[in-house]
Amino acid sequence: MSIEVRNITKIFGEFAALKDVSLKVPSGELVALLGPSGSGKTTLLRVIAGLEIPDQGVVLFDAQDATARSARDRRVGFVFQHYALFRHMTVFENVAFGLRVKPPHERPSAAKIFKRVHELLALVQLERLAQRYPSQLSGGQRQRVALARALAVQPKVLLLDEPFGALDAKVRQELRRWLRRLHDDIGITSVFVTHDQDEALEVADRVVILHEGRVEQEGSPEDVYEHPASPFVYRFLGNVNLFHGRVEGSKIHLGEFSMDAPADMGKETIPAVAYARPHLLDIDHHQPTGRPHFRATIAHINAAGAIVKIELTTDSGAIVNVEMPHERYRHLQLRKGVIVFVSVKDMKVFAQAQSTLGAGI
Amino acid sequence: MTVASSTRSTSRSGKDSAAAQSRRLLVQHSVLPGFGLTMGVTLLYLSLIVIIPLSATFLKAATGGWLYFWHTVTEPRALASYRLSFGASLIGALVNTVIGFVVAWVLVRYPFPGKRILDAIVDLPFALPTAVAGITLTTVLSAHGWIGRYLAPLGIKAVFSPLGVVIALTFIGLPFVVRTVQPVLQVLDPELEEAAASLGAGRWQTFIRVISPELWPALLTGFALAFARAIGEYGSVVFISGNMPMRTEITPLLIITKLEQYDYAGATAIGVVMLVISFALLFIINALQWWSGKRYA
Repeated sequence: MSIEVRNITKIFGEFAALKDVSLKVPSGELVALLGPSGSGKTTLLRVIAGLEIPDQGVVLFDAQDATARSARDRRVGFVFQHYALFRHMTVFENVAFGLRVKPPHERPSAAKIFKRVHELLALVQLERLAQRYPSQLSGGQRQRVALARALAVQPKVLLLDEPFGALDAKVRQELRRWLRRLHDDIGITSVFVTHDQDEALEVADRVVILHEGRVEQEGSPEDVYEHPASPFVYRFLGNVNLFHGRVEGSKIHLGEFSMDAPADMGKETIPAVAYARPHLLDIDHHQPTGRPHFRATIAHINAAGAIVKIELTTDSGAIVNVEMPHERYRHLQLRKGVIVFVSVKDMKVFAQAQSTLGAGI
Repeated sequence: MTVASSTRSTSRSGKDSAAAQSRRLLVQHSVLPGFGLTMGVTLLYLSLIVIIPLSATFLKAATGGWLYFWHTVTEPRALASYRLSFGASLIGALVNTVIGFVVAWVLVRYPFPGKRILDAIVDLPFALPTAVAGITLTTVLSAHGWIGRYLAPLGIKAVFSPLGVVIALTFIGLPFVVRTVQPVLQVLDPELEEAAASLGAGRWQTFIRVISPELWPALLTGFALAFARAIGEYGSVVFISGNMPMRTEITPLLIITKLEQYDYAGATAIGVVMLVISFALLFIINALQWWSGKRYA
């Protein structure tokens, strides 16, 4: 089932959680709503679920207006961040809940409920724990019970509110891959909320980035990562080095160094911000030619991990982060306190007025 | 510490190791220091305030001899008073459990003007001297009172009748249920109800299957407190009941009557019966709570 929201506005007292948000989720897609806390992502999810009534706008399921339908009638599976399991019921009873509360003429027989619940528990790999109570399960197991419970009523749409937010890093990793596989298996239209950009980029077909109650950008994970529409998106989608400066004529001056400004930036003098991801900076012992560069002192090296992370201090005291592969690091034989040249492989320049201007160098 | 004491005990005689084991049994649940001190204070306090005076009741009751004891506690007037005391207390506590839950629900769930005032009013039966409550209820409910004048034509006699006793015992027990259920309702996660709704449950199904199991322990506690309070109540009942032997005489009043006749052995004998029945009832309620709590706590 496809989901569409149109011009949704939701205000809590003085705070506008959603401002004129529109969004389409095609049938069968797995979409991530990504944003920092307070960006309105959870509110949007709750509006779709019918747990929150929008002040303006409509929610459409398969192009039919569902705004007035209650949560109960929307047939939406909702998974809560803190699981919201019924603690006085066993795992089995939790999963069976949605089947047992159906009106008598729709309710399956006890034998069918038993069969269906055990199918779902097999799907979430918890068959052995059917008779346990939620308090006897780990966080990851509880979340899988919550998922099985939501799927029991065969919802048309699955909505997950920070599904892995309360779990530790390793379990998160496992569960999100598992969620991706599960989605591929059953093909249910799914929307999940997260503040973790890695999670969104890894799991989702499409990422919707929310900021202060508005959709900042939406697109495929590659798309939003490679072509961020605003400084906010660029900053939010990964570690970043930030250089303040100004554009003058065809040059951009960024304190330590200057380089050619993107052609479409105009001729006027305007303040600008340049962003460079740590892996798009390089380090040399000798002054490089052909690339914009500046001098810096190595302040800290962290070589534990897949890549080497190096923190440097520029001559003006600013801090710059560089990431490089281990081979390059061994080749350069870097040590703390050494003065080196940092060169820029690629950088993205935004005029301060937040209009988007690409800048390949 | 436990580890050290147990390894040491292996090298000692069997008697010592038994002592070490029983010691370990006592302290093993306590991570925090001060177990000895706090346990000592608890036992001393409960002994002085509760156990010693109650033991004295038993001893005093025994002074009349077994035959006299049995005669006193089984005479028709005493039996009638037990029926009234426990019966009216039970009805009052049940009424309070239902109404108290509704009051707590309204106070927690809905914002409305005057909510704080209503919240404060709930505590009034706690604070009011019970004699004042008794006199007020009697005045209002008597055949010429504000409420009683409308009840009288319907043939309802709300004072000097068992009904009056029930009303007084309901009045004094209300806050117990409200105040035990309120905090539990306050921390009840609204997500549970949202989850139930998204799974297709209606309001009533959600209440029966999701909310009420969470509230049972608190409701039972509130019921037990209101019930216990009602059994011991004296001040408000003596005014409204009319104190007619065999009809509207509650057990505490019977005890006072016997005391006024200097029949101390008889008074304490009836006291012992109340004590034993109350203890048994509270024990059953506690067991119910333990049983309902242990399944998923």
